[in-house]
Amino acid sequence: MIENQRREGYYDYPVIRRPVWTWEIPAYFWLGGIASGAYLTASLAQRFGSKDDRQYAADGFYLAAAALVPCAPLLTADLGRPERFHHMLRIFKPLSPMNLGAWTLTAFTPLAFARAAARAAETGLLRGPLRVLTRLIPKTLVELTGTLLGLTLAGYTGVLLAATNVPLWARSKLLGGVFMASAMSSGSAAVGLAAARRRAPDATLHRFATIESAAGLGELAILTGYLAQSGKTARPLTAGRLAAPFWVAAVGAGTLLPLLLHRMAGRRQGRPLRILSSAAAMCTIAGSLALRWSIFEAGKISSEDQAASFELSSD
Amino acid sequence: MPRTAKGFFTDTSLCIGCKACEVACKQWNQLPADGFAMTGNSYDNTGTLGATTWRHVQFIEQAKANGHGLEQRWLMMSDVCKHCANAACLEACPTGALVRTEYGTVYVQQDICNGCGFCVPACPFGVIDRTPTDGHFEAGTAHKCTLCYDRLKDDMTPACAKSCPTASIQFGDIDELRERARRRLGELQARGESTARLYGMPESTEAQEVGPLHAFFLLLDEPEKYNLPSIPRLPRKTMAERYGWSAFVGVGFALVAAVVFGGRR
Repeated sequence: MIENQRREGYYDYPVIRRPVWTWEIPAYFWLGGIASGAYLTASLAQRFGSKDDRQYAADGFYLAAAALVPCAPLLTADLGRPERFHHMLRIFKPLSPMNLGAWTLTAFTPLAFARAAARAAETGLLRGPLRVLTRLIPKTLVELTGTLLGLTLAGYTGVLLAATNVPLWARSKLLGGVFMASAMSSGSAAVGLAAARRRAPDATLHRFATIESAAGLGELAILTGYLAQSGKTARPLTAGRLAAPFWVAAVGAGTLLPLLLHRMAGRRQGRPLRILSSAAAMCTIAGSLALRWSIFEAGKISSEDQAASFELSSD
Repeated sequence: MPRTAKGFFTDTSLCIGCKACEVACKQWNQLPADGFAMTGNSYDNTGTLGATTWRHVQFIEQAKANGHGLEQRWLMMSDVCKHCANAACLEACPTGALVRTEYGTVYVQQDICNGCGFCVPACPFGVIDRTPTDGHFEAGTAHKCTLCYDRLKDDMTPACAKSCPTASIQFGDIDELRERARRRLGELQARGESTARLYGMPESTEAQEVGPLHAFFLLLDEPEKYNLPSIPRLPRKTMAERYGWSAFVGVGFALVAAVVFGGRR
């Protein structure tokens, strides 16, 4: 009957509420992703790699365990009632990505530590009675189970954000894939970085670089799909105050630059190869944090976008 | 013990914007004030629902030129938690703090909630929120309308419905309320209110994903005018596909890595 001057909406008030999560969440996504990617790379090397691949990739088990150490504390710190962190495990409810993630982290952490301990025993780092205990660890089984749990840990985080009504996170189908690709590129980069520091043979370094670059290319492809599916909804990420962290740090320095550096390192050997690979790996790892952080922060802006909310809930 | 499903029928055509519901809700549930900020937009200085605001009266001012001048009207609507049949907050909750009660309503168990905050952006209506961790009211947990669970236990009417002076907020058995709503809509349409509609009935498009609303509304304009989404989304509906893409990328990576290592073992 009577039309308002505004096409729709109650003033410019948001339709949904702003997420209450703080920096601990993207930091956890980043570290959990590195842990998963490193564990996967290490496990696959044990199964399929050469002797050198196996030896140098096995540092990935240490990296996974180390990256997992801050994860549970970060998640706990972000709770409104941290002393009730264990309530996450009072039920098993995989329908809730948050519950699935809590269980996955709980199961994956001891496995990663067990595999790291077995590695420490192999290299002679771990001695005495503990070393005897590690003989009881079924390495292949731990690697296989850990690989599945690692994939779940790397894969649920983007789906968790997408399982909300925040337009930037929920509109595209691909956010889970974006975070998975970022986890794999940063995790394999961590393995490559450790191997370069330990002066692994060139052939092994080249293989780690190829794997990291493949993950990086995958990340670019799926990120492009994500932005295309999000359309206008992606504006809080691609324009405004998060444009610089996203385009420069996450995409430019975090994805394109490492691809370029690895390509430059392609035919090199020895020290130049190690320097270029290390630089590329560090860029990938830092870029992964920039990606999680900028998408996370942009989601908060997106949650206040009334028009984007109406668009999300009308098709 | 299973009981009949209870709910609210909020008939916005009867609302006069007195905010008695807001006050009664705050008083009964001992919710703190939200400060005295003015929105500068209208007499609605509450703004939104929130952790400590479980009823919110909107003042929607509409005007259009009709040849002689500006024709104006004021739509008023007392908003509340919809107590969805398929509640996004309840499905998101990782601790089981959010439950479906014997009245069919959605309720947060304050002693279970650990304040993970997942329900907050999951709700398509922007209802549930977490209290500040440094506040003095149930700090750091999720809060929303309980449909006065404690009062229902004693066969009492929820505070907002009890205080409503115009019967804009009606409480009762959900089936009976739906019948009443359909009759009321018929009356209004017969009087020429052609844009009047019900929001949240089992047969309406809003119920596609979140199901029928246990707190439903009679509106005088499009849902968006009241900041209500036309098809509120239930995140679960698209989750499998999203996990699928995640898995596709992860398995793809594993295959590529296996090929690059290339059976050198």
